[in-house]
Amino acid sequence: MSQERSLVVVSSGVSQPSSTRLLADRIAAATVEELAARGVTARVTTIELRDLAHEVVNMTLTGFASGPLADALAKVSAADGLVVVTPVFTASYSGLFKSFVDVLDKDALASMPVLLGATGGTGRHSLVLEYALRPLFGYLHADVVGTGVYAATDDWADGAGDDVRPLPERIRRAARELAEAVADREPAKPVGLYEAVPSFDQLLGSD
Amino acid sequence: MQFGIFSVGDVTTDPTTGHTPDDTERVRAMLTIARHADEAGLDVFATGEHHNPPFVPSSPTTMLGYLAGVTKHITLSTATTLITTNDPVRLAEEYAMLQVISDGRMDLMMGRGNTGPVYPWFGQDIRQGIPLAIENYALLRRLWTEDVVDWSGKFRTPLQGFTSTPRPLDGVAPFVWHGSIRSPEIAEQAAYYGDGFLHNAIFWPMEHTAQMVNFYRQRFEHHGHGSADQAIVGLGGQVFMRKESQKAWDEFRPYFDEAPVYGHGPSMEDFTRETPLTVGSPQQVIDRYGAFWEQVGHYQRQLFLMDHAGLPLKTVLEQIDLLAEEVVPVLRREAEARRPAHVPANPPTHAERVAAARAAGDVHVQQPAAADHWTGRTAEDDIDAADAVAR
Repeated sequence: MSQERSLVVVSSGVSQPSSTRLLADRIAAATVEELAARGVTARVTTIELRDLAHEVVNMTLTGFASGPLADALAKVSAADGLVVVTPVFTASYSGLFKSFVDVLDKDALASMPVLLGATGGTGRHSLVLEYALRPLFGYLHADVVGTGVYAATDDWADGAGDDVRPLPERIRRAARELAEAVADREPAKPVGLYEAVPSFDQLLGSD
Repeated sequence: MQFGIFSVGDVTTDPTTGHTPDDTERVRAMLTIARHADEAGLDVFATGEHHNPPFVPSSPTTMLGYLAGVTKHITLSTATTLITTNDPVRLAEEYAMLQVISDGRMDLMMGRGNTGPVYPWFGQDIRQGIPLAIENYALLRRLWTEDVVDWSGKFRTPLQGFTSTPRPLDGVAPFVWHGSIRSPEIAEQAAYYGDGFLHNAIFWPMEHTAQMVNFYRQRFEHHGHGSADQAIVGLGGQVFMRKESQKAWDEFRPYFDEAPVYGHGPSMEDFTRETPLTVGSPQQVIDRYGAFWEQVGHYQRQLFLMDHAGLPLKTVLEQIDLLAEEVVPVLRREAEARRPAHVPANPPTHAERVAAARAAGDVHVQQPAAADHWTGRTAEDDIDAADAVAR
């Protein structure tokens, strides 16, 4: 279990600086610590969707990934664990976030441990994790950890958002679940397009 | 090396004039374009097959049969023939007929088709695209190579004692390509049969094309058809030329910006950098296309998409002239100069395939049917006749 794992963080905040990115970084740092506690080193790659916004739209139209988007998609597909954080826009994940998920290969996240995060102005949107994000990643057959992390503006004040379960504690719990799921698995092997092609005899007899 | 053009047959409004051809005008334009390509000395004209507007070429063998009669040298082909939603029995009959009518001056390319509703319109399911392509093509080959076929499969009603007519010209089936952009199963299929593989990479980066072609080459060798570099490879391409590069750029941009596939998406600057689309002078096309062999190896057929996005017929004919006069002679000469002797220069012609079949001891003797088993009989008699043939 000594092999380094790849933790990929997808953040779709649009402002600079963004509280979405802030939450993503906190979750990533906590996950790295939790993995370290289990004797696993992790390398974090953070993907800011804002930087890929044009490429995501282009791929939606052309069907192929150009420039840095191809690299980002490859990194997500090859991750040992994935953290996704989106701002809540109009009662759901942001359009850019969904567009990025739309251009992922349909099998890219199958069985991958995924931690869901979202940010919003008030705590009244916190169920977005359950009614919007969890079904989306369920559809993709991701292995979504039980605890998602929602951060409202108030959560960034010292304990003001939730005195009983403050944000750092929620982050820690979710990170622990993600770290356990990642540590439990064999390191992801890069799967090329050409490695899983059935032989022609298998194709002919495919019934 | 062969150079030709392929048409999707799209009906698209010319964004610079607002003119939209009707279906009749568009079909006639395709015929004019094909005849012009023949007269200009291009090697291949290939038509797409579509069953939904705004595309007109639904009936490729009707179009190609006519063209066989009015052209002299050009090889008539398809890009692509839908192996998924067409009945393989009809494909065997129609393309054998085209082969006979054109005296072997044809080949065809199998493709799956990516328009979702076309599958249910023809009674199929797009999720079965690969299994359909595998099973239907296996039957198609048998119908060409075996005089009497008994067959049953998953997707089509069974056949007992069926003979597809006309039998292929000289007893040798047409040469077949398989086209796919992102399904290695289809490259595997092409390799398994020793057929050609064409990667229509016009909307894709060249690195992706190179991976797919090289996979096909390795599998071609694995299946014992020759060395990897002897596999028969084709590429799709797309160019717009004027003698002065800037004029090409200015003239094509409105068509690019409104084109059905990439319009309103990536900029022409990005798209020309990342895909084989080349807009500029003939020399720029020569430089770009003359270097693709470095990524995919020596290949046998390069097709260009020229009549799309609402370009007027006159412009398309000028593009064909530029291609045939200024680009192809240079590319052809360069390709021939660097080609190793053991690598085929071209896809096999009908004459070469006949010679190879004869060399392999396959002597063509068509047995005239001893009797017409069917006409004038009752349904009960037919069952006996079917059994007799099957035996």
